[in-house]
Amino acid sequence: MKKSLWTFGTREVVFAAIGAALYGVLSYATNLLQIPGAGNVSLRPAVAIPMFFGVAFGPIVGFLSGAIGNILSDLLSGYGFWPWWDLGNGLMALVPGLIYLSIKDFRSWGDLLKAEGMVVLGVALGMGVASLSEIWVSGIDLATAISLNFVPAFITNVINGLILVPILMVAYSAIVARSGR
Amino acid sequence: MLVSFSYRPRHSFIERFDPRARWIMSLALLFSIVLFWDIRILSFFFVLSILQVFLARLTWQETRRAWLFILVLSTMMILVNTIITGGGTIGGVISGGKPLLQFQLKIPVTGWIIHYVLTRERVWFALAQFLRIISIGSLFLVIPFTMDPRKYGVTFRGIGLPDKLAFTMDLAFRFIPTLARDFQITLDAQRARGYEVEKIEGNLFTRIRRMAPLFVPVTMNAILAGEDITNAMDLRCFGLKKRTWVESLKYQEIDYLMIGISILILVGSLLLRFVFHTGDFWFPM
Repeated sequence: MKKSLWTFGTREVVFAAIGAALYGVLSYATNLLQIPGAGNVSLRPAVAIPMFFGVAFGPIVGFLSGAIGNILSDLLSGYGFWPWWDLGNGLMALVPGLIYLSIKDFRSWGDLLKAEGMVVLGVALGMGVASLSEIWVSGIDLATAISLNFVPAFITNVINGLILVPILMVAYSAIVARSGR
Repeated sequence: MLVSFSYRPRHSFIERFDPRARWIMSLALLFSIVLFWDIRILSFFFVLSILQVFLARLTWQETRRAWLFILVLSTMMILVNTIITGGGTIGGVISGGKPLLQFQLKIPVTGWIIHYVLTRERVWFALAQFLRIISIGSLFLVIPFTMDPRKYGVTFRGIGLPDKLAFTMDLAFRFIPTLARDFQITLDAQRARGYEVEKIEGNLFTRIRRMAPLFVPVTMNAILAGEDITNAMDLRCFGLKKRTWVESLKYQEIDYLMIGISILILVGSLLLRFVFHTGDFWFPM
Protein backbone atom coordinates (compact mmCIF):
# COMPACT_ATOMS: atom_id res chain seq x y z
CA MET A 1 0.00 0.00 0.00
CA LYS A 2 1.32 3.45 -0.92
CA LYS A 3 2.17 5.58 2.10
CA SER A 4 0.94 9.13 2.38
CA LEU A 5 2.39 11.84 4.62
CA TRP A 6 -0.91 13.20 5.96
CA THR A 7 -2.97 9.99 6.27
CA PHE A 8 -4.96 9.71 9.48
CA GLY A 9 -6.35 6.19 9.60
CA THR A 10 -6.65 3.49 12.25
CA ARG A 11 -2.89 2.92 12.38
CA GLU A 12 -2.23 6.61 12.97
CA VAL A 13 -4.94 6.82 15.65
CA VAL A 14 -3.43 3.87 17.55
CA PHE A 15 0.20 5.00 17.30
CA ALA A 16 -0.62 8.61 18.15
CA ALA A 17 -2.39 7.34 21.28
CA ILE A 18 0.52 5.04 22.17
CA GLY A 19 3.06 7.82 21.55
CA ALA A 20 1.08 10.24 23.71
CA ALA A 21 0.62 7.73 26.53
CA LEU A 22 4.32 6.80 26.43
CA TYR A 23 5.36 10.45 26.51
CA GLY A 24 3.03 11.10 29.45
CA VAL A 25 4.02 8.01 31.44
CA LEU A 26 7.77 8.27 30.82
CA SER A 27 7.81 12.00 31.66
CA TYR A 28 5.96 11.26 34.88
CA ALA A 29 8.20 8.27 35.67
CA THR A 30 11.48 10.12 35.11
CA ASN A 31 10.16 12.97 37.26
CA LEU A 32 9.36 10.46 39.95
CA LEU A 33 12.75 8.76 39.74
CA GLN A 34 14.44 12.16 40.23
CA ILE A 35 17.12 11.51 37.65
CA PRO A 36 19.85 14.04 38.37
CA GLY A 37 20.38 16.74 35.78
CA ALA A 38 23.27 19.15 35.38
CA GLY A 39 22.92 22.34 37.40
CA ASN A 40 19.41 23.70 37.05
CA VAL A 41 18.75 21.80 33.82
CA SER A 42 16.12 19.15 34.54
CA LEU A 43 16.16 15.94 32.55
CA ARG A 44 13.01 15.09 30.62
CA PRO A 45 14.30 12.44 28.22
CA ALA A 46 10.79 11.39 27.23
CA VAL A 47 10.56 14.33 24.78
CA ALA A 48 12.41 12.07 22.36
CA ILE A 49 9.38 9.74 22.18
CA PRO A 50 7.03 11.98 20.15
CA MET A 51 9.94 13.02 17.90
CA PHE A 52 10.69 9.37 17.20
CA PHE A 53 7.00 8.62 16.62
CA GLY A 54 6.98 11.46 14.10
CA VAL A 55 9.91 9.95 12.20
CA ALA A 56 8.50 6.42 12.37
CA PHE A 57 4.78 7.06 11.76
CA GLY A 58 4.43 10.48 10.18
CA PRO A 59 3.83 14.11 11.11
CA ILE A 60 0.24 13.72 12.34
CA VAL A 61 1.22 10.94 14.73
CA GLY A 62 4.19 13.04 15.87
CA PHE A 63 2.06 16.12 16.43
CA LEU A 64 -0.65 14.29 18.38
CA SER A 65 1.89 12.31 20.44
CA GLY A 66 3.62 15.54 21.43
CA ALA A 67 0.52 17.62 22.09
CA ILE A 68 -1.65 15.00 23.82
CA GLY A 69 1.39 13.51 25.58
CA ASN A 70 2.23 16.88 27.09
CA ILE A 71 -1.38 17.26 28.25
CA LEU A 72 -1.22 13.79 29.84
CA SER A 73 2.11 14.50 31.49
CA ASP A 74 0.75 17.73 33.00
CA LEU A 75 -2.45 15.95 34.03
CA LEU A 76 -0.54 13.18 35.81
CA SER A 77 1.66 15.70 37.58
CA GLY A 78 -1.32 17.96 38.38
CA TYR A 79 0.21 21.04 36.69
CA GLY A 80 -2.95 22.17 34.88
CA PHE A 81 -3.24 22.95 31.20
CA TRP A 82 -0.86 25.13 29.21
CA PRO A 83 -2.33 24.94 25.69
CA TRP A 84 0.43 26.92 23.96
CA TRP A 85 3.09 24.59 25.37
CA ASP A 86 0.99 21.60 24.23
CA LEU A 87 0.94 23.12 20.74
CA GLY A 88 4.72 23.69 20.92
CA ASN A 89 5.32 20.07 21.92
CA GLY A 90 3.14 18.95 19.02
CA LEU A 91 5.05 21.05 16.50
CA MET A 92 8.34 19.85 17.93
CA ALA A 93 7.39 16.30 16.90
CA LEU A 94 5.55 17.22 13.70
CA VAL A 95 8.68 18.58 12.00
CA PRO A 96 10.75 15.36 12.30
CA GLY A 97 7.68 13.58 10.91
CA LEU A 98 8.05 15.44 7.63
CA ILE A 99 10.86 13.06 6.61
CA TYR A 100 8.69 10.00 7.32
CA LEU A 101 8.30 9.09 3.65
CA SER A 102 11.97 9.54 2.83
CA ILE A 103 13.19 7.10 5.50
CA LYS A 104 14.32 3.93 3.76
CA ASP A 105 16.46 2.29 6.42
CA PHE A 106 16.19 3.23 10.09
CA ARG A 107 19.78 2.10 10.65
CA SER A 108 21.51 3.97 7.82
CA TRP A 109 23.73 6.92 8.66
CA GLY A 110 22.02 9.07 6.06
CA ASP A 111 18.55 8.58 7.51
CA LEU A 112 19.82 8.95 11.08
CA LEU A 113 21.50 12.26 10.20
CA LYS A 114 18.37 13.46 8.41
CA ALA A 115 16.34 12.70 11.50
CA GLU A 116 18.86 14.51 13.71
CA GLY A 117 18.63 17.60 11.54
CA MET A 118 14.84 17.55 11.72
CA VAL A 119 14.96 17.10 15.49
CA VAL A 120 16.94 20.34 15.81
CA LEU A 121 14.54 22.16 13.46
CA GLY A 122 11.49 20.72 15.22
CA VAL A 123 12.67 21.71 18.69
CA ALA A 124 13.56 25.21 17.43
CA LEU A 125 10.10 25.67 15.88
CA GLY A 126 8.08 24.03 18.66
CA MET A 127 9.83 25.69 21.57
CA GLY A 128 10.00 28.93 19.58
CA VAL A 129 6.21 29.00 19.11
CA ALA A 130 5.57 28.09 22.76
CA SER A 131 8.09 30.63 24.10
CA LEU A 132 6.87 33.42 21.83
CA SER A 133 3.30 32.66 22.91
CA GLU A 134 4.40 33.68 26.40
CA ILE A 135 4.89 37.21 25.03
CA TRP A 136 1.20 37.25 24.12
CA VAL A 137 -0.03 35.43 27.21
CA SER A 138 2.25 36.64 30.00
CA GLY A 139 3.26 39.94 28.43
CA ILE A 140 6.98 39.35 28.78
CA ASP A 141 9.43 40.92 26.34
CA LEU A 142 11.38 39.07 23.65
CA ALA A 143 14.62 39.02 25.68
CA THR A 144 12.87 37.36 28.63
CA ALA A 145 11.02 34.89 26.41
CA ILE A 146 14.28 33.84 24.79
CA SER A 147 16.46 33.74 27.89
CA LEU A 148 13.96 32.26 30.33
CA ASN A 149 11.73 30.08 28.15
CA PHE A 150 13.29 29.31 24.79
CA VAL A 151 16.97 28.69 25.58
CA PRO A 152 16.53 26.23 28.49
CA ALA A 153 13.73 24.36 26.71
CA PHE A 154 15.61 24.27 23.41
CA ILE A 155 18.91 23.05 24.88
CA THR A 156 17.47 20.26 27.03
CA ASN A 157 15.01 19.03 24.40
CA VAL A 158 17.54 19.10 21.59
CA ILE A 159 20.10 17.14 23.62
CA ASN A 160 17.48 14.57 24.63
CA GLY A 161 16.25 14.25 21.05
CA LEU A 162 19.69 14.06 19.45
CA ILE A 163 20.76 11.25 21.76
CA LEU A 164 17.62 9.15 22.09
CA VAL A 165 15.91 9.45 18.67
CA PRO A 166 18.71 7.58 16.80
CA ILE A 167 18.84 4.90 19.51
CA LEU A 168 15.07 4.37 19.16
CA MET A 169 15.34 4.38 15.35
CA VAL A 170 17.98 1.65 15.35
CA ALA A 171 15.90 -0.44 17.77
CA TYR A 172 12.80 0.10 15.62
CA SER A 173 14.60 -1.09 12.49
CA ALA A 174 14.48 -4.63 13.95
CA ILE A 175 10.68 -4.40 14.22
CA VAL A 176 10.42 -3.04 10.69
CA ALA A 177 12.55 -5.89 9.39
CA ARG A 178 10.41 -8.40 11.26
CA SER A 179 7.01 -7.05 10.34
CA GLY A 180 7.93 -5.96 6.82
CA ARG A 181 6.07 -2.60 7.21
CA MET B 1 4.81 2.35 39.54
CA LEU B 2 1.40 3.62 40.46
CA VAL B 3 0.13 6.15 37.97
CA SER B 4 -2.97 7.93 39.10
CA PHE B 5 -4.78 10.98 37.88
CA SER B 6 -5.37 13.90 40.18
CA TYR B 7 -9.13 13.58 39.66
CA ARG B 8 -11.45 12.24 42.33
CA PRO B 9 -15.15 13.04 42.72
CA ARG B 10 -15.46 15.96 45.13
CA HIS B 11 -19.17 16.67 44.59
CA SER B 12 -18.27 20.30 44.22
CA PHE B 13 -20.35 22.99 42.55
CA ILE B 14 -17.95 23.13 39.59
CA GLU B 15 -18.38 19.41 38.91
CA ARG B 16 -22.10 19.92 38.34
CA PHE B 17 -21.34 21.55 35.02
CA ASP B 18 -20.93 19.68 31.76
CA PRO B 19 -17.20 19.39 30.91
CA ARG B 20 -17.87 20.93 27.48
CA ALA B 21 -19.40 24.01 29.09
CA ARG B 22 -16.39 24.26 31.38
CA TRP B 23 -13.94 24.09 28.49
CA ILE B 24 -15.89 26.74 26.62
CA MET B 25 -15.83 28.95 29.72
CA SER B 26 -12.09 28.42 30.31
CA LEU B 27 -11.21 29.24 26.69
CA ALA B 28 -13.52 32.28 26.59
CA LEU B 29 -11.94 33.62 29.77
CA LEU B 30 -8.42 32.90 28.49
CA PHE B 31 -9.05 34.88 25.29
CA SER B 32 -10.65 37.68 27.33
CA ILE B 33 -7.81 37.92 29.87
CA VAL B 34 -5.07 38.22 27.25
CA LEU B 35 -6.80 41.29 25.78
CA PHE B 36 -6.15 43.45 28.83
CA TRP B 37 -3.39 45.14 30.82
CA ASP B 38 -5.66 47.31 32.92
CA ILE B 39 -5.23 46.11 36.47
CA ARG B 40 -8.88 46.93 37.34
CA ILE B 41 -10.20 44.67 34.58
CA LEU B 42 -7.60 41.99 35.33
CA SER B 43 -8.72 42.02 38.98
CA PHE B 44 -12.23 41.03 37.82
CA PHE B 45 -10.85 37.99 35.96
CA PHE B 46 -8.54 37.19 38.87
CA VAL B 47 -11.55 37.06 41.22
CA LEU B 48 -13.45 34.82 38.77
CA SER B 49 -10.53 32.38 38.46
CA ILE B 50 -9.90 32.19 42.18
CA LEU B 51 -13.64 31.76 42.80
CA GLN B 52 -13.55 28.74 40.52
CA VAL B 53 -10.72 27.24 42.61
CA PHE B 54 -12.76 27.67 45.79
CA LEU B 55 -15.92 26.31 44.19
CA ALA B 56 -13.94 23.24 43.12
CA ARG B 57 -13.21 22.39 46.79
CA LEU B 58 -9.52 21.93 46.14
CA THR B 59 -7.20 21.70 49.11
CA TRP B 60 -3.79 23.31 49.36
CA GLN B 61 -2.20 19.91 49.94
CA GLU B 62 -3.33 18.45 46.63
CA THR B 63 -2.68 21.56 44.55
CA ARG B 64 0.52 22.69 46.27
CA ARG B 65 2.79 21.37 43.53
CA ALA B 66 0.82 23.10 40.78
CA TRP B 67 0.65 26.38 42.70
CA LEU B 68 4.37 26.33 43.38
CA PHE B 69 5.00 25.68 39.69
CA ILE B 70 2.83 28.64 38.65
CA LEU B 71 4.21 30.94 41.35
CA VAL B 72 7.86 30.14 40.69
CA LEU B 73 7.39 30.47 36.93
CA SER B 74 5.50 33.74 37.14
CA THR B 75 7.86 35.23 39.72
CA MET B 76 10.90 34.39 37.58
CA MET B 77 9.32 35.85 34.45
CA ILE B 78 8.22 39.00 36.23
CA LEU B 79 11.56 39.47 37.99
CA VAL B 80 13.57 39.09 34.81
CA ASN B 81 11.13 40.93 32.58
CA THR B 82 9.75 43.82 34.54
CA ILE B 83 12.38 44.41 37.13
CA ILE B 84 15.57 43.59 35.21
CA THR B 85 15.04 43.96 31.46
CA GLY B 86 12.59 46.83 31.87
CA GLY B 87 9.26 45.45 30.77
CA GLY B 88 9.22 46.85 27.23
CA THR B 89 6.49 44.47 26.19
CA ILE B 90 3.35 44.42 24.13
CA GLY B 91 1.69 45.65 27.31
CA GLY B 92 3.29 48.98 26.54
CA VAL B 93 4.81 50.15 29.82
CA ILE B 94 5.38 53.88 29.66
CA SER B 95 9.09 54.52 29.33
CA GLY B 96 10.57 56.75 31.95
CA GLY B 97 8.27 57.40 34.89
CA LYS B 98 8.60 58.16 38.56
CA PRO B 99 11.64 56.43 40.11
CA LEU B 100 11.06 54.42 43.26
CA LEU B 101 14.53 53.01 43.58
CA GLN B 102 17.75 53.82 41.78
CA PHE B 103 21.38 52.96 42.26
CA GLN B 104 24.63 52.58 40.41
CA LEU B 105 26.56 49.37 40.40
CA LYS B 106 30.19 49.15 39.33
CA ILE B 107 31.18 45.73 38.10
CA PRO B 108 34.66 44.81 39.30
CA VAL B 109 37.41 43.98 36.75
CA THR B 110 35.41 45.23 33.74
CA GLY B 111 34.72 48.63 35.26
CA TRP B 112 31.25 48.70 33.70
CA ILE B 113 28.73 50.88 35.46
CA ILE B 114 25.09 49.79 35.61
CA HIS B 115 22.62 52.55 36.35
CA TYR B 116 19.47 50.86 37.63
CA VAL B 117 16.14 52.63 37.97
CA LEU B 118 12.96 50.95 39.20
CA THR B 119 9.94 53.09 38.42
CA ARG B 120 6.43 53.11 39.83
CA GLU B 121 5.13 52.18 36.39
CA ARG B 122 7.29 49.07 36.27
CA VAL B 123 6.04 47.90 39.65
CA TRP B 124 2.40 48.36 38.59
CA PHE B 125 3.08 46.58 35.36
CA ALA B 126 4.64 43.70 37.31
CA LEU B 127 1.47 43.50 39.40
CA ALA B 128 -0.72 43.47 36.27
CA GLN B 129 1.46 40.74 34.82
CA PHE B 130 1.21 38.72 38.01
CA LEU B 131 -2.59 38.99 38.08
CA ARG B 132 -2.75 37.97 34.44
CA ILE B 133 -0.52 34.88 34.81
CA ILE B 134 -2.17 33.74 38.06
CA SER B 135 -5.65 34.20 36.55
CA ILE B 136 -4.77 32.08 33.51
CA GLY B 137 -2.87 29.51 35.59
CA SER B 138 -5.65 29.00 38.13
CA LEU B 139 -8.26 28.89 35.38
CA PHE B 140 -6.68 25.73 33.96
CA LEU B 141 -5.24 24.37 37.21
CA VAL B 142 -8.72 23.28 38.30
CA ILE B 143 -9.33 21.04 35.27
CA PRO B 144 -7.13 17.99 36.06
CA PHE B 145 -8.49 17.83 39.60
CA THR B 146 -12.18 18.16 38.77
CA MET B 147 -12.69 16.65 35.32
CA ASP B 148 -13.12 12.90 34.95
CA PRO B 149 -10.37 11.55 32.60
CA ARG B 150 -12.88 9.06 31.16
CA LYS B 151 -14.82 11.95 29.71
CA TYR B 152 -12.04 13.75 27.84
CA GLY B 153 -12.66 11.92 24.57
CA VAL B 154 -16.41 12.48 24.47
CA THR B 155 -15.93 16.05 25.73
CA PHE B 156 -13.60 17.01 22.90
CA ARG B 157 -15.86 15.24 20.43
CA GLY B 158 -18.73 17.31 21.84
CA ILE B 159 -16.76 20.52 21.41
CA GLY B 160 -16.38 19.75 17.72
CA LEU B 161 -13.17 17.76 17.31
CA PRO B 162 -13.35 14.97 14.67
CA ASP B 163 -14.16 11.47 15.91
CA LYS B 164 -10.71 10.07 15.23
CA LEU B 165 -8.96 12.88 17.06
CA ALA B 166 -11.24 12.56 20.09
CA PHE B 167 -10.78 8.79 20.06
CA THR B 168 -6.98 9.21 19.95
CA MET B 169 -7.23 11.15 23.17
CA ASP B 170 -9.56 8.59 24.72
CA LEU B 171 -7.27 5.73 23.70
CA ALA B 172 -4.20 7.51 25.08
CA PHE B 173 -5.86 7.71 28.50
CA ARG B 174 -6.69 4.00 28.35
CA PHE B 175 -3.08 3.04 27.51
CA ILE B 176 -1.60 4.82 30.52
CA PRO B 177 -2.09 2.11 33.19
CA THR B 178 -0.79 -0.62 30.84
CA LEU B 179 2.29 1.36 29.85
CA ALA B 180 2.98 2.34 33.45
CA ARG B 181 2.89 -1.36 34.37
CA ASP B 182 5.23 -2.21 31.47
CA PHE B 183 7.61 0.53 32.60
CA GLN B 184 7.68 -0.85 36.14
CA ILE B 185 8.31 -4.41 34.89
CA THR B 186 11.15 -3.17 32.67
CA LEU B 187 12.63 -1.12 35.50
CA ASP B 188 12.55 -4.11 37.85
CA ALA B 189 14.04 -6.40 35.19
CA GLN B 190 16.87 -3.97 34.49
CA ARG B 191 17.52 -3.51 38.21
CA ALA B 192 17.80 -7.30 38.55
CA ARG B 193 20.55 -7.07 35.93
CA GLY B 194 22.41 -4.45 37.96
CA TYR B 195 21.08 -1.28 36.33
CA GLU B 196 20.92 1.49 38.91
CA VAL B 197 18.71 4.30 37.71
CA GLU B 198 19.17 6.35 40.87
CA LYS B 199 22.93 6.27 40.53
CA ILE B 200 23.34 7.26 36.92
CA GLU B 201 26.58 9.19 36.81
CA GLY B 202 28.59 11.02 34.20
CA ASN B 203 27.93 14.11 32.16
CA LEU B 204 24.55 15.16 30.80
CA PHE B 205 24.99 13.18 27.57
CA THR B 206 25.93 9.99 29.42
CA ARG B 207 22.97 10.34 31.76
CA ILE B 208 20.50 10.68 28.91
CA ARG B 209 22.08 7.85 26.92
CA ARG B 210 21.81 5.61 29.94
CA MET B 211 18.03 6.03 29.94
CA ALA B 212 17.94 3.92 26.77
CA PRO B 213 17.75 0.52 28.61
CA LEU B 214 14.45 1.73 30.08
CA PHE B 215 13.00 3.60 27.13
CA VAL B 216 13.81 1.21 24.28
CA PRO B 217 12.12 -1.98 25.61
CA VAL B 218 9.00 -0.12 26.79
CA THR B 219 8.63 1.75 23.49
CA MET B 220 9.27 -1.25 21.25
CA ASN B 221 6.86 -3.46 23.24
CA ALA B 222 4.21 -0.76 22.94
CA ILE B 223 4.76 -0.53 19.17
CA LEU B 224 4.44 -4.30 18.77
CA ALA B 225 1.21 -4.23 20.78
CA GLY B 226 0.05 -1.31 18.66
CA GLU B 227 0.25 -3.41 15.49
CA ASP B 228 -2.13 -5.96 17.05
CA ILE B 229 -4.50 -3.24 18.25
CA THR B 230 -4.54 -1.67 14.76
CA ASN B 231 -5.43 -5.02 13.21
CA ALA B 232 -8.17 -5.64 15.77
CA MET B 233 -9.67 -2.19 15.16
CA ASP B 234 -9.47 -2.57 11.39
CA LEU B 235 -11.25 -5.93 11.66
CA ARG B 236 -14.04 -4.15 13.54
CA CYS B 237 -14.27 -1.51 10.77
CA PHE B 238 -13.06 1.36 12.93
CA GLY B 239 -13.70 4.77 11.38
CA LEU B 240 -16.23 3.70 8.76
CA LYS B 241 -19.24 5.12 10.59
CA LYS B 242 -19.87 7.85 13.12
CA ARG B 243 -18.68 6.69 16.50
CA THR B 244 -20.83 6.23 19.59
CA TRP B 245 -19.40 6.71 23.08
CA VAL B 246 -19.93 4.75 26.28
CA GLU B 247 -20.02 7.95 28.32
CA SER B 248 -22.69 10.38 27.21
CA LEU B 249 -23.00 14.06 28.00
CA LYS B 250 -26.14 16.13 28.15
CA TYR B 251 -26.35 19.88 28.59
CA GLN B 252 -28.51 21.10 31.48
CA GLU B 253 -29.94 24.60 31.97
CA ILE B 254 -27.05 25.50 34.24
CA ASP B 255 -24.60 24.66 31.41
CA TYR B 256 -26.40 26.88 28.92
CA LEU B 257 -26.23 29.63 31.52
CA MET B 258 -22.48 29.17 31.94
CA ILE B 259 -21.89 29.13 28.18
CA GLY B 260 -24.08 32.23 27.77
CA ILE B 261 -22.21 34.16 30.47
CA SER B 262 -18.84 33.07 29.02
CA ILE B 263 -19.79 34.26 25.54
CA LEU B 264 -21.12 37.49 27.00
CA ILE B 265 -17.81 38.08 28.81
CA LEU B 266 -15.80 37.36 25.67
CA VAL B 267 -17.96 39.61 23.47
CA GLY B 268 -17.91 42.33 26.14
CA SER B 269 -14.12 42.10 26.35
CA LEU B 270 -13.75 42.33 22.57
CA LEU B 271 -16.04 45.36 22.50
CA LEU B 272 -14.19 47.04 25.35
CA ARG B 273 -10.85 46.44 23.70
CA PHE B 274 -11.51 47.07 20.03
CA VAL B 275 -14.57 49.34 19.96
CA PHE B 276 -14.11 51.41 23.11
CA HIS B 277 -10.30 51.07 23.10
CA THR B 278 -10.22 50.39 26.86
CA GLY B 279 -7.97 48.03 28.75
CA ASP B 280 -4.45 49.32 28.03
CA PHE B 281 -1.92 49.42 30.83
CA TRP B 282 -3.25 51.56 33.66
CA PHE B 283 -1.94 52.54 37.07
CA PRO B 284 -3.15 54.96 39.75
CA MET B 285 -1.49 58.34 39.32
